[in-house]
Amino acid sequence: MKLLRETYLVLRKDLVLQLRRRDSLLTMFFFGTLLLFVFHLSFDLVPDRVSEMAPGLLWLAFLFTGTLGLAQLFGAERENQCLDALLLSPLDRGALFLAKACLNFILMLLVELVIIPLFWILFNLQTWNLLPQVFLIALLGTLGFCVLGTVMSALTLRARARELLLPLVLFPLMIPIILATIQCLGAVLRGGELGDALPWLRLLIGFDVIFLTLGVLVFDWVIEIE
Amino acid sequence: MKKGQPQKSRARFLGALALITIAFGLYWALVQAPRDALQGDVQRIMYLHLPSILTAYLSFFLVFIGSCLYLWKREKRDDNLAHSAAELGVLFTALTIIEGSIWGKPTWGVWWTWDARLTLTAILLLIYSGYLMLRSLIDDEDRAALSAAILGIVGFLDIPLIHMSVYWWRTLHQPPSILRPDKLPWENVHPAMLTALAINFVGFLLLYFYLLSLRLHLGEVRSEIKTRRLNQGAF
Amino acid sequence: MHLTVKKLSKAYGFFWALKDLNLDLVPGELVALLGPNGAGKTTLLKLIAGLTPASLGKIELDRMPLSRASGSSRAQIGLLAPAAHLYEDLTVRENLEFFTSLYGRKNDAGNISSALASVDLGDRADEFVSTLSSGMKCRLSIAKWDLLEPGLLLLDEPYGVLDGSGVDLLEEFLKAHCRKGNLVILASHHVSRVLKISSRAIILHQGRMTFNAPRQQPWPEFDQAFREFLPHGEA
Repeated sequence: MKLLRETYLVLRKDLVLQLRRRDSLLTMFFFGTLLLFVFHLSFDLVPDRVSEMAPGLLWLAFLFTGTLGLAQLFGAERENQCLDALLLSPLDRGALFLAKACLNFILMLLVELVIIPLFWILFNLQTWNLLPQVFLIALLGTLGFCVLGTVMSALTLRARARELLLPLVLFPLMIPIILATIQCLGAVLRGGELGDALPWLRLLIGFDVIFLTLGVLVFDWVIEIE
Repeated sequence: MKKGQPQKSRARFLGALALITIAFGLYWALVQAPRDALQGDVQRIMYLHLPSILTAYLSFFLVFIGSCLYLWKREKRDDNLAHSAAELGVLFTALTIIEGSIWGKPTWGVWWTWDARLTLTAILLLIYSGYLMLRSLIDDEDRAALSAAILGIVGFLDIPLIHMSVYWWRTLHQPPSILRPDKLPWENVHPAMLTALAINFVGFLLLYFYLLSLRLHLGEVRSEIKTRRLNQGAF
Repeated sequence: MHLTVKKLSKAYGFFWALKDLNLDLVPGELVALLGPNGAGKTTLLKLIAGLTPASLGKIELDRMPLSRASGSSRAQIGLLAPAAHLYEDLTVRENLEFFTSLYGRKNDAGNISSALASVDLGDRADEFVSTLSSGMKCRLSIAKWDLLEPGLLLLDEPYGVLDGSGVDLLEEFLKAHCRKGNLVILASHHVSRVLKISSRAIILHQGRMTFNAPRQQPWPEFDQAFREFLPHGEA
């Protein structure tokens, strides 16, 4: 399909650029790690409480790190007016949306792959066996974040105080994802399985699907220049 | 502008009607309706609180409608509707929270609590404040209108999801059933109370539409000024 | 590509950048778009390219309205601005491969190599664009549009960054492009150079079109119009 082919083209271009510059990936990674240290210093955590607070703290770290990524999402396009070049081309706007959302998703996943085990180490958690489930839930939550975040990133592209405006409009809308992910993570860390939290998982998946579709449909208007 | 005259008198009539209805409603709320058995007189603020939040919801629905229409037709007046409704929505939501807080202190002993309704109302306030901020921070007007329209639609579509998640969050160990707000803290509803509520609700609606018409007119005048300045600037 | 423009106007805030522009250009024309700074040349190019919405008026390509939604018609429009629309951290070859794939054109290595050779960049194929000078970037853009073959090619002040051989290259390319039946609009300050290769001249002044005629030899009307608005000769 044309949409997927174009998505792949733009995504591949962005990944190559990321590999060469590594600016987004590295800053996100270091920022996430820094946050973990700050959390540990701020919340004097006893071992029993850590499990309770882990979902919230993890998600806070991802939220802020992800926002950093979102702010830089169209960075390559800003120099040399390359965004104009893309808009001038026959590129489907939905493909641009998918490519950018995928880019942020991949970057965040890479960061999470490191941050989650790091969290377990720094906070002395023993439940290493739960990591696969934790990753899966984080993945679903990250997907929703990237999808909605890409729309917001494009919406605020030409606003003043962009770095502040982006979280301002994004975070309230992210609340279902935040709650759902934390509830699921909490259930998993408490009891080793989702159990009661299954409806939350459904909400999470539902959110992802709804806003993925919405994003593809709406991006045409979102990215209109000037 | 001659054509403004019938509009102005219509608006004034609406405003007067709103004033009378609210006065009537207040009388009913403060005098005619019986004192609440459990909560005492403090409960009377519900006669303002409920209409406030319902009006706010109506306002946000209008933001959604205005945004959809603007995306479809790109007419300034639809954007004006969305913008005006957002401003009024933020106003009424803030009012709701303040009224809720005033009720909360004597009832629960605290100014704020994270129960489902209050949290949800606060989130609504945040979303639409964000909407207004987005508009004011984008310099190009058409771009601002377009971005705001999309935010208005995305935000509105997100509200059911937010509603669901916040209510589930607050009723953690119960199976999440239908999305009903926790029941109003009344045992039996006295008919006089219902009357007071109804009158106030109508009064608030009238007040809302009066304010909306004022704000819409303001938006139109601003638009007109901009168009005239633009046309005058044509060399 | 046949370009028709009717009463095109564009306002930025309170300022009209373009007012009431009418054009009817046929395939094969090489149009010189002239005028002092701020005349509206870049604005006109951006409007035709579909990168910015018009405030008033219509633009039609091959009798069809310029609509942002249609991907295939967008592929027919090219915009060449020096040093723009190239990714700094991709190599020369990668840039060409990316854009040719995006536009659905053949992008085998041979095609790209010959395009690069014709602009004298064959030996820089695997270097990053960030290492190129502005003149070389402009040549790369020429190679890019050579491969993409747009029916309508717009150029915004390419002469400034090109050296002698670069200018010859550009002019050869443009003449060949027009011979294939494509339309070219070239905005520039370098009047005498542009006039030599163009088939028509348009002068913009403060957003209005003050001259539009096919080239003649000699051309007293042009000289007069030119002198009126650019009294100190070439900008």
